[in-house]
Amino acid sequence: MTIRNALRDHGQRYRPRMACLKKAEKVLLEMQDPCTGVKSQPQRLVITIIPHAITGEDIIAWLADRFQIDAQEARSFGSMLVALGYIYPLQDHKRLVIKPDASLYRFQTPYFWPTQQWPVEDTDYAIYLAKRNIRKKGILELHEQEQYNHLHKWMNHKWDFVVMQAKEQYRAAKERKKPDRVVFDCQERAYWVVHRPPPGTVSAMDYGLDRRTDPNTDEVTGESPHDLLVKYSATYSGHDPFLSKCLPSNPWLTDDTTYWALNIVEIPTKMRVERWTFSFKELLSDPRGRDDFRLFLKKEFSGENLAFWEGCEDLKWGTAVAMREKAEQIYKTFLARGAPRWINIDGKTMEITVKGLKHPHRYVLDAAQTHIYMLMKKDSYGRYLKSPVFKETLKKAICPEEHKFKNRRPSLSPIIIRQQEQEQRAKMAANAPVDITQVMSKLSKQGKEMGPRHSK
Amino acid sequence: MPLVNNKVGDDCTASGDKALADGKALVDSLIKVVACYRHLASCVGGCTDSLQLRDELRQTREKAQNLAGDICHHLTSHLRDKSLPDGQRKEMELLWVAFSSCLELLHVDMCKVLNISGIVSLADSASLVHTGLEGCSDVAARALSLPDLNQAQTDSLPSGLESQERSTMELEISQIDRMIDDMEMKVNVLRWMVEPHGPQYADPLSSTDSVSMAVQSIDEEQQAPTSQPLCQRSHIFVLLLL
Repeated sequence: MTIRNALRDHGQRYRPRMACLKKAEKVLLEMQDPCTGVKSQPQRLVITIIPHAITGEDIIAWLADRFQIDAQEARSFGSMLVALGYIYPLQDHKRLVIKPDASLYRFQTPYFWPTQQWPVEDTDYAIYLAKRNIRKKGILELHEQEQYNHLHKWMNHKWDFVVMQAKEQYRAAKERKKPDRVVFDCQERAYWVVHRPPPGTVSAMDYGLDRRTDPNTDEVTGESPHDLLVKYSATYSGHDPFLSKCLPSNPWLTDDTTYWALNIVEIPTKMRVERWTFSFKELLSDPRGRDDFRLFLKKEFSGENLAFWEGCEDLKWGTAVAMREKAEQIYKTFLARGAPRWINIDGKTMEITVKGLKHPHRYVLDAAQTHIYMLMKKDSYGRYLKSPVFKETLKKAICPEEHKFKNRRPSLSPIIIRQQEQEQRAKMAANAPVDITQVMSKLSKQGKEMGPRHSK
Repeated sequence: MPLVNNKVGDDCTASGDKALADGKALVDSLIKVVACYRHLASCVGGCTDSLQLRDELRQTREKAQNLAGDICHHLTSHLRDKSLPDGQRKEMELLWVAFSSCLELLHVDMCKVLNISGIVSLADSASLVHTGLEGCSDVAARALSLPDLNQAQTDSLPSGLESQERSTMELEISQIDRMIDDMEMKVNVLRWMVEPHGPQYADPLSSTDSVSMAVQSIDEEQQAPTSQPLCQRSHIFVLLLL
């Protein structure tokens, strides 16, 4: 079962798999085991005693023992755990390293562990900064202050909520016992030091770019991303002009733009037609393919499906002003009883759509569009690929000849070309009739401009 | 903004104001419950995790969901009402934005609790992380507006409870998901047009605990001892001797 985070995750980007997180969690659970883990001691503050503090040297010793590594490596490993946010220092909280002495650390609560699935929200950061400001006005550091102002500007519409939520969280915290309150504050502070590091520090959370595909399994087919990627690469590698030869030739390599010109004309190339067979989406997204498909559907007298689909796309991507009219037009043409191009969708979808059309918005026809899309994909697409229309197109498709590198000479590097030009100019100047006064004035000007530098 | 029918009589404004006040009260209580839920969720997987905590989480969650359902109906029906006067519509939209932000926070917290309960199981008490906490039952009491909770202790974990809890949580999370989706579909609130009323900074609250202040300040600045914090009406001064 997948919890659909896509909507909350704006832009559908996925943080790359940080496999180390899962492994670090396992190590941490071992470390905190009361019997076999790191020895804990109570931390003495002014009036309170808070349990479960561990010293840096104990952590390093335990890691060295557990993994049979030397102290230096254990220290780096420990620092990595701190940098990721699984352990936080109690003193000198901004430096996320393990010190091999009696400095105290504590385990971070699982709620604040770094995760791959959920991005660290700016709203939470704003609430945290507001809370700190409640506790002590003017405590925010410079970079935090700047961030706070920045968030106030772009998250302005939520600001009442942010302030209110900060107050409520603060009040809820008051309900807790004093030591717990201190611990929670330390935990939260440590969390934000990891995820919003002060400027000039290196963050362990820097993972590079976000990815477009989900590092976890594909929801629909249950295939792992590796299989999907391999399949995709195998299918498309022949069609990628940079990975394999493209016919007639890659314009970037040969300066011959026939490749681009060929795909504008009526008759498509064989490679392009082959692409239409990969998936229905490919067929529809290529205008030439869509035209072909439309022709086929016309022959089958089921052109209204494609027309309806195109109408829905138009509604989705069109201007807001024209939305209402378009929706009405589509209803009159395709959905109403006795409509001229009535489409065949099931009763439930029809009911939902008609109800939604009372208050039309961009996505009101989504259900019906999906239904028709699947209908075309499962039924018409298969028949299209076997149809005479497609076979005709395939036969007519041209296979351009490969570019013959006849007069191939390597072009000169721009540096050499520039040197050649300069030599040419110098020669011209040398051959021209010499005017002493001009030459002298030019030389003196050159001398003044260039200063200590030598003239060429 | 849709066209507004300005034939608004006195009773209309009065009932509109009441609707606004109701909505505001509901949203305020939801904000409170969500804040408490967050505090409770931060204890999951730690050494204070117990059946009681899970129970409190469940109760808080239920309350939050009930409130959310009420607010959803209330705000949706009012915002889709075309005859709502402009001023009230603006207020409603503010409440709407606050409500949707609340829902998003609740959604993330619920997902995190589900995730953590998968990593750290209650049944294996040795694996609960030693975080230094001692317990937070009063927070739940605050959330549920009860003077104190019935502190029923259960000794052993019934075998099917955890998986049952997981499936219930998954259902609830998908419910919240759908609610957020529905909201976006039904009412078109232009977020960039919404202007908040409140201040940029949350003012320090007057009744602060001076002792905890001292404890926290010392914990922060180990090298720099603090002097006595002065507790005035709404200002707290802590002088740092460096």
